Amino acid sequence: MIQEILGSQLGLSICIICLGLAVILTADAYCIYFERKVSAWMQDRYGPNRVGPLGLLQPLADGIKFILKEEFIPARADKILFYIAPALGVIIALVGFVILPIGGRVHWSWMPEGTTLLAQGASVDIGVLYLLAVGSLTVYGVVLGGWASNNKYAFYGAMRSAAQMLSYEVPLGLALMTLILTMGQLRLEGIVTGQIDSAWNAFLHPVAFLIMLITALAETNRAPFDLAEAEQELIGGYHTEYSSMKFAQFFLAEYTHMITASGLLTALFLGGYEVLPFSRLLAGVNGLSWLYWISTSVSPWAMVLRMAVFCGKISFFIFVMMWLRWTLVRFRFDQLMRLSWKALVPIGMAIVVVQGVLLYFGRPISWISTAAEIGILVIAAMISLLSGKPITGRQLSLVEDDEHAIRPSKTPVTV
Amino acid sequence: MNAVAWAYLAYGLMAAGALGIYFALPRGGRINRAAALLFGAIAAGGILLVMYQGLGDTARPSVVFAVFSLLAVGSAARVITHRKPVYSALYFVVVVLATSALAVMAGAEFLAMALLIVYAGAILVTYVFVIMLAQQSADDPESLSMVDYDANSREPATAMLAGFVLAATLSGLFIQRKWPSVAAIEEPAGNTVAVGQELLARYAIPVELAGVLLMVAMIGALAIARRHLPNDMLPARPPELPVGEIGKTVEPF
Repeated sequence: MIQEILGSQLGLSICIICLGLAVILTADAYCIYFERKVSAWMQDRYGPNRVGPLGLLQPLADGIKFILKEEFIPARADKILFYIAPALGVIIALVGFVILPIGGRVHWSWMPEGTTLLAQGASVDIGVLYLLAVGSLTVYGVVLGGWASNNKYAFYGAMRSAAQMLSYEVPLGLALMTLILTMGQLRLEGIVTGQIDSAWNAFLHPVAFLIMLITALAETNRAPFDLAEAEQELIGGYHTEYSSMKFAQFFLAEYTHMITASGLLTALFLGGYEVLPFSRLLAGVNGLSWLYWISTSVSPWAMVLRMAVFCGKISFFIFVMMWLRWTLVRFRFDQLMRLSWKALVPIGMAIVVVQGVLLYFGRPISWISTAAEIGILVIAAMISLLSGKPITGRQLSLVEDDEHAIRPSKTPVTV
Repeated sequence: MNAVAWAYLAYGLMAAGALGIYFALPRGGRINRAAALLFGAIAAGGILLVMYQGLGDTARPSVVFAVFSLLAVGSAARVITHRKPVYSALYFVVVVLATSALAVMAGAEFLAMALLIVYAGAILVTYVFVIMLAQQSADDPESLSMVDYDANSREPATAMLAGFVLAATLSGLFIQRKWPSVAAIEEPAGNTVAVGQELLARYAIPVELAGVLLMVAMIGALAIARRHLPNDMLPARPPELPVGEIGKTVEPF
């Protein structure tokens, strides 16, 4: 019975999805503990250490507290949307995980010789687009929650979040386009095996990796892009009016989104489940052949190790996100917009052009792209250094049909 | 029953659907819910029946198709009949989701995801956003003092007639045309490559023209959005300071 379930693709996928759901929900709770520990470590404190050994039962205590807290609904809030919004956030954040290629191919001993199964939730032909589509829907939880609260601070948070997500989806799409041009496919497990055969995309496309990392931070509303919940300005932003388990759901959605975004970064740029880069070359070195064995073997033990490696890389990215949160200060809104539209978008377009030219000459995977992207970054840095102060504040009219209109050429305004 | 009889039955059912939507449109802030539901149910159930019985074995839709198409059509009806614009926009999101599910069922995954990314992810967020900003004053629930354009629909009869004619013509054409069978156009490896080749080889010029059009629209929007500033509203220019002096003196607010 168990052999039959595990031996069919559907059964294995369902098992992995169920396991993944349990792991993600637990990991979400421990992410909050981890976040507090990391912040304490960075600020030279102890962090939570009262509940259980090392404070490890703190998430449990938090959960019980959230369930027992009073649930408060503001007067004249839109009740339906107020209830739906947090659930929507969690659901949309969870469905993205299903296509992450966490396990590679596996062969059970009771299966006929030569047949393998794909150890992941679903294998979608348009994997990258699917993640992009799901990611673009996450904004609804925030926007609806903020609006339904009938609170101006919550609504400001929602407004900022919507503008931010719309702006950062453009560079995200450009970075993804570079990758798609490189790998020639949208299927995530194909992209991973392609990287095992050649090199990690983080080396081939360092700038695309950087853009993707920045946009991942922005799309998950993490610091330094957490303008939607800026405590000092907006009390708590879109979740100001939420209490009890509904508040916890927003947290759940945020951390789940972090996990999915980290998984996407891992699969697209860090070779997915490959332990070390260039393991195919390293396999020739004496005593290192196990590296390549983990990446390519169909044995169940290799699959478990691959899953562990994938989770390890996700944890690394989550740590990086927390590290950045407790290191950097928050952007101002105009800086946020300028970063997206005036830096990330032009650079993203440039790397897409470079990759297109490489593809035209029939060499999509080559180290020329690394050199070219670093060159683009240097040029961009020089342009930003030489172009002087950025234009901020209120802008002059482009249309000059009025005698009172100020001609921009005569009175340049920098505020 | 022969094909012509089925077609007339389908037209009749569409007329019932049009009547249902006519009753669902708000007048004086009220909706004739019972009549709308009755006619809507007759139309939806009847059209599904026609599709199951009249189209023959090859084109018989599945249960999943029925669920998603009912969801799409029902939500589309709510888009134009709901009295709160925010809910209208959200029902539009449901329409997009259901339509993309239908596209996936038809084997057009790329189209489905493009629909989701472009409509649900970008355009409708902007819609929801603008409507939320515009709606701040009139969101008192259950009150009949809502603004006129939310409480009363304009020319419901004419609009229904036009919509009915459009839907009937389109569906008549769909049924008459000989479509290639699904098996012939379906590719096992997915059709993203095929879509890309069609768009960039055969339809390259329309795609480029659409791009230029969007670009022009964007520049136009920029030109309109930048407002005139009267002279006295301009902030005073700070005096040019030598580099070493910047930040040494702070003016009071």
